[in-house]
Parts: sequence; structure tokens; C-alpha cells
Amino acid sequence: MVSLTPYENPSYFLMLFVALLPIVIGLLAGRKFHWYETLVSFFFLLMTFGGPKWHQGLALIGYLVFEMILVTLYDRYRKQKNDTWVFVLAVLLAIAPLVVVKMTPLLAHGGNAIIGFLGISYLTFKAVQTVMELRDGTLKDYNPWFFLQFMAFFPSISSGPIDRYRRFRNDYEKVPDRDKYLGMLQKGVHYIFLGFVYKFMLSYFFGTFLLPRFEKTAMATPGLSWALVGVTYIYSMYLFFDFAGYSLFAVGTSYFMGIETPMNFKKPFLAHNIKEFWNRWHITLSFWFRDFIYMRLVFFFMKKKVFKSPKTTANVTYILNMGLMGFWHGLTWYYILYGFIHGFALVANDWWIAVKKKHPGRIPHNKFTEAFAIFMTFNFVCFTFLIFSGFLDKLLFAR
Amino acid sequence: MKKKLWMIFGPLVVAAIVLLGLLFSPFKINRINKTTERQAATSLSPNVLKGEAIKKAALSHKEYVPFFGSSEFSRFDVTHPSVLATKYDRNYQPFLMGAPGTQSLTHYFQMQSINKELTNRKAIVVISPQWFVKKGTDPKAFSFYFSTLQAANFLLTQKGTYTEQVAAKRLLSMPSGHANDQVASALQRVADGKKITKFDRFYLKNLYHMARQEDRLFSSIRLSNNDEKVEKQAKDLPAKDDSKAIEKEAIRQGKEDTTNNDFGIKNDFYKRRLSKKINKFKNFEKDFNYTESPEFADFQMVLNQFAEDHTNVMFIIPPVNEKWAKYTGLSQSMLDGFSMKIKYQLQSQGFNNIVDLSQDGAKPYFMQDTIHLGWTGWLDVDKHIQPFIKDKQPKPNYKMDNKFYSHKWQFLNPDDLSSYK
Amino acid sequence: MDTKETVLSILQDLTGTDVSDAMDDNLFDSGLLDSMGTVQLLLQLQGQLGIDVPVSEFERTEWDTPNKIIAKAESMK
Repeated sequence: MVSLTPYENPSYFLMLFVALLPIVIGLLAGRKFHWYETLVSFFFLLMTFGGPKWHQGLALIGYLVFEMILVTLYDRYRKQKNDTWVFVLAVLLAIAPLVVVKMTPLLAHGGNAIIGFLGISYLTFKAVQTVMELRDGTLKDYNPWFFLQFMAFFPSISSGPIDRYRRFRNDYEKVPDRDKYLGMLQKGVHYIFLGFVYKFMLSYFFGTFLLPRFEKTAMATPGLSWALVGVTYIYSMYLFFDFAGYSLFAVGTSYFMGIETPMNFKKPFLAHNIKEFWNRWHITLSFWFRDFIYMRLVFFFMKKKVFKSPKTTANVTYILNMGLMGFWHGLTWYYILYGFIHGFALVANDWWIAVKKKHPGRIPHNKFTEAFAIFMTFNFVCFTFLIFSGFLDKLLFAR
Repeated sequence: MKKKLWMIFGPLVVAAIVLLGLLFSPFKINRINKTTERQAATSLSPNVLKGEAIKKAALSHKEYVPFFGSSEFSRFDVTHPSVLATKYDRNYQPFLMGAPGTQSLTHYFQMQSINKELTNRKAIVVISPQWFVKKGTDPKAFSFYFSTLQAANFLLTQKGTYTEQVAAKRLLSMPSGHANDQVASALQRVADGKKITKFDRFYLKNLYHMARQEDRLFSSIRLSNNDEKVEKQAKDLPAKDDSKAIEKEAIRQGKEDTTNNDFGIKNDFYKRRLSKKINKFKNFEKDFNYTESPEFADFQMVLNQFAEDHTNVMFIIPPVNEKWAKYTGLSQSMLDGFSMKIKYQLQSQGFNNIVDLSQDGAKPYFMQDTIHLGWTGWLDVDKHIQPFIKDKQPKPNYKMDNKFYSHKWQFLNPDDLSSYK
Repeated sequence: MDTKETVLSILQDLTGTDVSDAMDDNLFDSGLLDSMGTVQLLLQLQGQLGIDVPVSEFERTEWDTPNKIIAKAESMK
């Protein structure tokens, strides 16, 4: 049985191209064949989760069935009633599999949960979001079969970008007109080839070629070293090009299928401050957290008047929000610390903006200060990526 | 619409056709010429080990003798085998296969592409005791010299031996074995003692074809060039191939190059690598142990391959710089134990050409640095190699024993050798 | 007070700026509104105009200028 990791090698892209060809021809002729799309999706999921990884495949099927039943039941319930505890219960149940998967390595000394599979954390976002929109009443015509299509959309199943139910449905049902679709094809080809440059050249150069050398030197010299500085920046570059490359593949592939999956990165290292950084880095994740965690928490705190000032509300929520994101990455000290550092950075960022507002004209603003801001933000981010990388864990605690 | 589609996909289609043409054309596009072979013989580049085109081309000429080893090859002293063979009209030229980080496992897989060339031939192996550490070969170093070509070749040439099964298992224990899922699943079949599937074979054939073409096209472009180093050293040698005169020059250079330390270590090595942290090294190696290691099983794989190819091999066991060993606390009795154990593994299976230099670590200018052979050391090696290669040797008679793959053997204490069966 | 005036006064409270002369300027791009401000806006709309906007209904591109906010508020009344 064949088994391929998505977007890893030429044969995957070749198969992708062949499988997408009928979809492309159909769309150019103004038609969509949903049954064929489902078939292709199923085929690629089988490629990813079949063969030696069949246990992951079973876990995926189990997970999808579980989430579909859960969300469908909640939809039925929501049509009659709207109790908060049922909503809370539904959300908790929706994230339960993810929690088990993330807890297992901690409890079982590095072992992996049998219900885990590549991409479970990303699917959880989609499921929770659907429950929340059902609760809000913004999603009225929920359809279990379509929910499965949405969850198991193969281009983005393993690492995002995280799409939204209603946005995805609009694209899914619509057939773009020919000019628009030609434009999408053009973009799709561009994205995929840019992805090649990112993932197979730059990410390889930084991650496979440079990083091990610097890590080795850094490990040989305990504490601070120039090699560690090198690791910091090289890892940051690797992380960006690897993840952005992957996202480009996923977005490019969706474009071929006539679906405008949202972009995940927008020149993140050119951000002037941390807040802007999160509007440019792993965008679909940070927006998900913004829309479904941050805004909801703020809404809740303000409505219940938990904190006196809006500022305190915002600050507390920043830290909760980013902290939670840290936990989502995994239950290790470095992921969690990474989350909280970004939470505090957002607080500091707001404080600085307030200071600037209070003293208009007193703080200079020109090209140099802007360049300086970009430089500062970049360095700060790279430092937090060093924490995120887990390399410090090896450096400090291995031996 | 057609025009627009062509604008989008045209360049892609053209690029794909050109690439496929290059990768799947049945022609040898890039012939390996004499100069490339010559350069490759001393280049120590990873692409020589990873590939097969250059190795095969060079070893098709009888004058190249394969030398398997590791970092010692990169020390081009005046008496380095490649320098001596270049200067004097010897009837052989070493083809160096080894670089920092290459150990038995790398050699086992890189040999697979030159089995034909190794058959009924002579070869030299320089064994480093430092390979035989408790954790065995470093996965990262291994992956640096491992290639898809090696994997595909290994899988396509299965004969169903136990060694292959062990090798597949070992490869699967490395991240390199999982780089390609299809290869990983084929390796799993071999490890389980099964044949690879028809589809595996079809897939691997294409993979092999592509990787081989890539190797032919690009390997010779990225060769490092050590010709100048070799030539420069060769100039210092006396005009006549006379060991007394060469020794004089070796000692002269050794003396000149080891002035900044008391260990007899080459000046620039000492200055660059040791001087700053010299206090840290005091007694640093007192717990080092080279007698218990998975490397013994990896080494057995290499021996098995030699036996299968009927290669007549001379093994060299270099010493450790004794002054340095005393300083770092490295145990000589442990080193003696290592020599004993490795010699047992060799001799009990019929590998009898062994040059054991493990007691020579204190001879003047024998070592270039801490663990690598130097001026008079290489010369000593030459005195053994030259007749071995020049003279006709009796056919070796190998009697291989799979017990050397066992965990028990890998971690056997040399003190228990006498009772080992 | 009609919806337009109410929205403008809410925005003035929130941003500290009179936005009535820049009705089509993007409030998010100019940094006047952020997620926090958005939630406050939604709460104020609820409190002062009785419009209930769930957070998931909030699509940034539909709410990013004073004019768009007024139009949205009016449509939901």
C-alpha cells in the first residue's frame, strides 16, 4: 500500500496534478462535479493515512464520525433550545479528543495516543467554530454531509490554513466565472511554485543544511554562544519558509479546485509591532483565536463587568488568549512560555500605543523609527521562536 | 482562453518536458572522464559516497584501490597514501572513500553500488576505534552520506540474505530510512524477511533511474578538489622512492609542525581546536569506552559484503596519540580490549590481513593530532599496504558467522572473549 | 437621535476621534478600531440601539468604515 506525506515529494505533486485535471476542465467549462471532488479527497486522504499509517486513518475516520454526530446533535438541540451549559458541554466534547492527544505524551512518557492523527488540532478548530456559529444562530442551514466535506477538505487537512464553514460553503457551491477562475489558476500555479522555492530550497537550506551545523556547535558550548544566536535566526527562517511553503501548497491546490482558502502568511517579518505581526503570521490561526476566543472572552467580561476598565479586560484577555494558544501547540514548557510571552508582548504593545496617543507629536515618527520598529519586532519574534523551537530544552536539560 | 491557459501552464509544461527528458533519457549525458576520476579519488566529497557514477567509473580501472575509512583521509600529510602514490610511480592509486562521520553503516550502503567492482579485488579499510561508541553511528552524520540512490539500489538487489534483513532493520532505525514512505514500507518488508512487492519494484526502478541520472548529471560538478594539496605535499618528497629518505623528510616536517604543544600535535590543529579549552580536556575521556557498541554489528555487515564480493581486504587499526590519551585519561587497556575484540571478529571469520598499530601511539611523529595518523604513521602504513597491493596474495577464505550481529556480541566485554562461542 | 448619530457618537467615544468627516476611511487600517474596540462597539450597539450582533456575525470587511457600520446597524434594526 502506498503512503505519502502531503506535499513532500514529486510523485505527490504529479498525482495531484492528474487528479485535479478533470476538476480544472470542469470548472473551465463552468461545471463542478462534487462527487468527483469527494472521490479525489478520499483518494488523497487514503494516500496520506493509508498503508503503514492505517491506524492514523482509522483515528481520522473515528474522529470525523464523532465530531459529525456531536455537531449534528447540537444543531438539532439548538433548533429547539439554547441553554448555555449544553453549548459549553458541546464545545468541551468537541475538543476532548484533542485534549487526550495532547495530554498523552505527558502522562505516558512520550507515548502517542492511538486516537491521534496528523492534523487533529486543525480539524478541532473547524469543529469548535461550527458549534459556536450554531450557538450564535449565524449558521442556520447546517448539513452533516457538508460538514464532513468541510472538515476533510484534503488540501488543508494536515496543517491548515483554517477555513470557516460559511466561507467555505459559498466557494464550494459557487462556480466561479471563467475569467475569475483563470485568475485563480494563475495564482494557484504561482503559489505552488513559490511554495517550491520556500519549502524545497529555502526551508531545506535553513532547516536541513544550516540548522544542524549550528545546533551542533551550540550544543558543544553550553550557555550563550554565537552559535545559539545563529540557531535563533536560522530556525526562525526555517520555520517561516517551511510553514509558509506548506500553506502556499494548500492554498494553491484549493485555488485549482475553485476554493479560495485564505492565506496564512503576509510578509510577517515586516510587521512594525507584535499586534501587526499576528495579523501577518499564521493568519488563519490568529484570526481564529481573535474571533472565537479573544472577542468572545472580551464580550463576556465586559457584559458581566468582570473588570472595571476596558483596558484591564483587554490585557487579561490577551494573556488568556495567547496562553491558550501556547497550550494548543503542545503541553511543554516552551510552547506555553511562548504563548504567554506573546500575550504580555501584546499588552506592552497596547500600552505603548496609548502612550503615543497621549503625547501626540512628542515621539518622533519617521522612516528610521519605522525601520527600527520592524527591526525590533523581528528580533523579538525570532527570540520567541527560539523558545518555541524547544532547542533551549535540549540545551539546558539534556544530559 | 487558450492563450491565457498557455500563458499560465505553458512554461510549466515546457519545464516538465525538459526535466523529464533529462532524468529519464536512456543516454549517459555526462561522461565521467579521467580528470574527474582523478579528482574524485582524493576529493572526499559526500556526493562520491552518495552516488555511484564516479565510483563505478574510477574503479573500472584496475589501478584504483578502494580505501574505506573516515576522517584520517582528510589529513594530507607528506606520507599520506595518495601523496606517495602520486609522487612515485606506484602501480596503484588510492580511491579514498571516507570523510569525517563515515562509519561502517555508511560504508555498507555505499558499497552496494560497487559490488561488481569490488569482486575479487583488493581493498584497504582503516578502522577507527572512535566509531565504536555506545550509541553507534550518529543518525545525522549517517544521513549526510545516505542517498535515495543507495536505498533504491539496496532494495532492488535483494538476494534474501540475513545480512540484508539486518541492514534493512538498521536503516529503519534511522530517520534516513523514513525519508520516503514507499521506501520505508519496502524496507519493512525486507526487514520482515519478505520480498518487496511488484509495485515496490516498479516504483523503486523509476526512483533508481531518476536518482542515477541526477547523480550522473550533478555529482561531478560539486566535487571538492584536493589535487593541489596532494601535489604540494608531493613536491616535498625526495625524488627516489626510498623509505629511509622519506622517513627523514617525514620527521623533519613533523618536528617543524609540532612546536606549540607537548603532545606532538600539529600546530594549527592544536591552536584551532584544543588550546582554548585545553583545561577542559584534562581527564575528560577517562570514561570513554569503545568496546561495547552497535557499531560491531554494522561492521559485520561490511565484512559480510566483502566476503560476498570475495574482496581481499587489509585492515588497519590506528593508535591514539599516547601523550594526549594520558592527558585526557583515555584508557590504554580499554583500547587494547577494543583491538582484541575487533581482531577476534576479523580473524575468526578469516580476515587475516590486519595491521594493528594500536601500540604505536607514542612513536615520534606517528600521529598528526589526537587520533589521526601523521607523518611517520602513514609511512608505517605504507610499508604494509605497498607489498599487499603489489604482490600476488593467496585467495582469502572467509567463514562468516551471524553471531556477530547479536546484541550479546555488540556489548560483549573483551575480558569475556575467551568464553565467547 | 437617529441611528447614524448614535453610531457616530459611539465611535467618537471609542476612538477618541471625530470620524464624521472621514466616513469611508478604514477604521482598522488607521488603527482607530481593533478587536477590543469592536467588542465595545457591539456592546454599545446592543445597549443604545438594541441591536444584537453575535460575534460570529462580525465580518471585518463588512464593518470597516463608519458608513458601513451605519448601514449594518440600520439593516439589523
